[in-house]
Amino acid sequence: MASDRPVLEARSRLDGFNADRDRVLREVERRVVERVTRKAAAGGDASLEYVLNDVCVSEIKRLDGSGGDAGRWRDLAHRLGAMSPAQLAGELRALVAHYGKDIVGNFDPRVYRFATKVLTPGLGFLFSPTRSVRGGVGGLLAELDSRIQVEGPLEHLRAMAERGTLVVTPTHSSNMDSVVIGLALERAGLPPVTYGAGKNLFTNPFISFFMHNLGAYRVDRRLRFELYKEILKEYSTVLLESGYHSLFFPGGTRCRSNVIEPSLKLGLLGTTVTAYRNQLAAGGAHKKIYVVPATINYRLVLEAETLIGDYLAETGKSRYIITDDEFSRLGRIVEFVRKILVHEGAVVIRFGRPLDALGHDVDDDGRSLDRRGRPVDLRGYFTDAAGAIAVDEQRDAEYTRLLGRRLVAAFPRESVFHATAVAARAIYDRLCAAAGTRDIYRLTRLPPGRTVAVADVIRTLGALRAQLAARPEAGRLHARVAAAGDSAVLDDAVRALGTYHSHPVIERVSDQVRVGDVKLLYYYQNRLAHLPVEVVP
Amino acid sequence: MTRGDTVGIVGAGTFGTALAVALARAGREVVLYTRTPMVAAAIAQTRRCPRLPEVEIPAAVRVVVDPADLAAAARFLVVAVTSADVAARLTELGAVVDGGHLIVHAIGALAAPDDVRVSDLIERLTPVLRAGVLAGPALPGDLASGRFASMVVASSFDEVVAEARRLLNLPPTLRLYGSRDLAGVELASALAGAYTVALGLADGAAVGAGPRAVFITRAVAEATRLVEATGGAARTFAGLAGLGNLLIRAASDDDPDYRLGRALARGERDRPRTEGAHAALTGLRLAERRRVRMPLLAGLAAVLDGKLDVAAAARLAADTVAVEE
Repeated sequence: MASDRPVLEARSRLDGFNADRDRVLREVERRVVERVTRKAAAGGDASLEYVLNDVCVSEIKRLDGSGGDAGRWRDLAHRLGAMSPAQLAGELRALVAHYGKDIVGNFDPRVYRFATKVLTPGLGFLFSPTRSVRGGVGGLLAELDSRIQVEGPLEHLRAMAERGTLVVTPTHSSNMDSVVIGLALERAGLPPVTYGAGKNLFTNPFISFFMHNLGAYRVDRRLRFELYKEILKEYSTVLLESGYHSLFFPGGTRCRSNVIEPSLKLGLLGTTVTAYRNQLAAGGAHKKIYVVPATINYRLVLEAETLIGDYLAETGKSRYIITDDEFSRLGRIVEFVRKILVHEGAVVIRFGRPLDALGHDVDDDGRSLDRRGRPVDLRGYFTDAAGAIAVDEQRDAEYTRLLGRRLVAAFPRESVFHATAVAARAIYDRLCAAAGTRDIYRLTRLPPGRTVAVADVIRTLGALRAQLAARPEAGRLHARVAAAGDSAVLDDAVRALGTYHSHPVIERVSDQVRVGDVKLLYYYQNRLAHLPVEVVP
Repeated sequence: MTRGDTVGIVGAGTFGTALAVALARAGREVVLYTRTPMVAAAIAQTRRCPRLPEVEIPAAVRVVVDPADLAAAARFLVVAVTSADVAARLTELGAVVDGGHLIVHAIGALAAPDDVRVSDLIERLTPVLRAGVLAGPALPGDLASGRFASMVVASSFDEVVAEARRLLNLPPTLRLYGSRDLAGVELASALAGAYTVALGLADGAAVGAGPRAVFITRAVAEATRLVEATGGAARTFAGLAGLGNLLIRAASDDDPDYRLGRALARGERDRPRTEGAHAALTGLRLAERRRVRMPLLAGLAAVLDGKLDVAAAARLAADTVAVEE
């Protein structure tokens, strides 16, 4: 039976988070201390002395590298060997509490209301001042909705948000993503979510204020020691068990190459499986967790130049934290909003149908379905030979891998391709055919300003269209691209890629397309890198 | 004994029956499922299985013809049917098992019609996620007669390996080793069947000890290339599922694949294709898709397809080995 009523707007559970925050923190501390202490009984690498020393070494390395004062950690490292078991346990408790407080988030309903009632229409104003003023608040929101479009089974997702806990898992290509997905959720009548944001994003006071008050918790990627990861994962697990809708970027960090994420970082995603297993053990089998694949599809990407530069310069060892990109400059963000988001449908956020914590499809009532579409009871997946719910981290890591595989399959299917991506791919294909290589490093060494014939690009665009039409699992064209002719799509892409970045990516010169920046062309065409290359005469 | 301590076996063929006998003799609880009522009736009346008539089946082996009875009686299931039947059997099972079941299969071939690994079929056709494969040098005759045998169980789930070892390990008769290389062991097991046919062919043609040794060594090399290309571990084919399997099967005149190879050497081309013959053809298709060079397998496939006679295939394989390896 399908949902008996449409859910126009799912309830915000984060409204009660601040009152619940201390309980969440205490629970995280209790679990982490209990688990680490239990494992320490095995000695060796699991001993408290080793665990605490790992923290000290990592902190000393970090602080020495950044000119900070590591004296406290050196002192602790020196004292560890002489500490009694009780003193070690006390130090562990203190560190877990310290890092827990550093991570914990905040949700201020007043700030959320301000953001949704004032800032959201304000963005509409920024897009089209005269038209939106004439239309009042409704007009402002309509302006916003035409720029940032939200697609997918929204009514179903609202119903699932009422029945269980949502874990929204979008693709990640820009630091604007958390802002954009927040807007998308609000516009779709979906509840606000809590999410882990890199601590570097909190350095901008304006952004930091909203991050702080809209449910973001802090993830310090400089802290590489296991204890920190344990605390972070446990925090996410307790949030999910407590029913707080969450958001993870399962790609881990912004995708440098703009390829649709072919593999995922499974750490935080694994907390979905753990949280559901814990709920089962506590008798809460009905409290389902639904993982929602989502794609954020930009016509142009704010940080494209930095990201692709970083990718090509450092392939295989790219910086995990970038602090000097376009996002760090407020002027560039304003420019992005005014120049890029001003285009109708400049960003499309597409949500897919939800999956359960093990990656099964779910029906309209939220019941899990096997690959043949028959309902399955998830409890059995967590039972041992005696039929009891068993803790088995290796098993759950495998389940997380399965969930990851389903998400990786969903991302292309739910992707929406702008003219910039499709045209870039067509031009790149022609460029590669002429150069006899698809290797970007070889292409960058060719003389600049290479051209391809417009007629060839148009034919290749048509072939790409046909490929996408034949393979729904590979994604879909943006509605505007689907409705336009191939020549109009190319013109649109030339306009966008020719004017936004610091120099033109492509230009139309008579009956030729001139490639001004092959790296950015490669970046934009990578969105369609999963489509096989076809030889188009 | 509880449901969690019971082994359910799907398929009363030679391997399934022999495993059931070995387990029951060791005091394990066993339920044997056959979809053929005549086979069930024969076992009930005579305690002999038509596919393995020389072995008496202990009374402790319970035979069922309804897969729902099997699923209700056992959490841990061993699927021991042919690759041609496995999709149909898993479809039946899919309707009666749930996420609490564990399934390992003992099928030394890729599954028809699209050459998928059987573990993928398990995931596709049943709700079971915890799956594995059982492979290696354990001949049905050895299991049934209590001679020493050894196998490897592979799964990406440690729990499946642990449960298989808890329920199937029968020292000193049957010793089970564990592996996480599910993809590698499945493919190695299939390819071992294919090379068993080829080795039967070589032995039938009396190529001699030297060329035989070269053949085995090169088989290990080319199979390892394919296993690695499909995501398996480089060392897997040199283990029990691959080389161990090949050596024991090529030492047994009872082995269907080895017998087929010898028959081909005698010019008997109209023999029915065995699991190993199917594995040769599917393995070669896989190798072509992955662009892995497999001259020995290609030669065998050509003989099986009637495109080459035995002498020409042997010459071709030897030339390719000499020139390209």
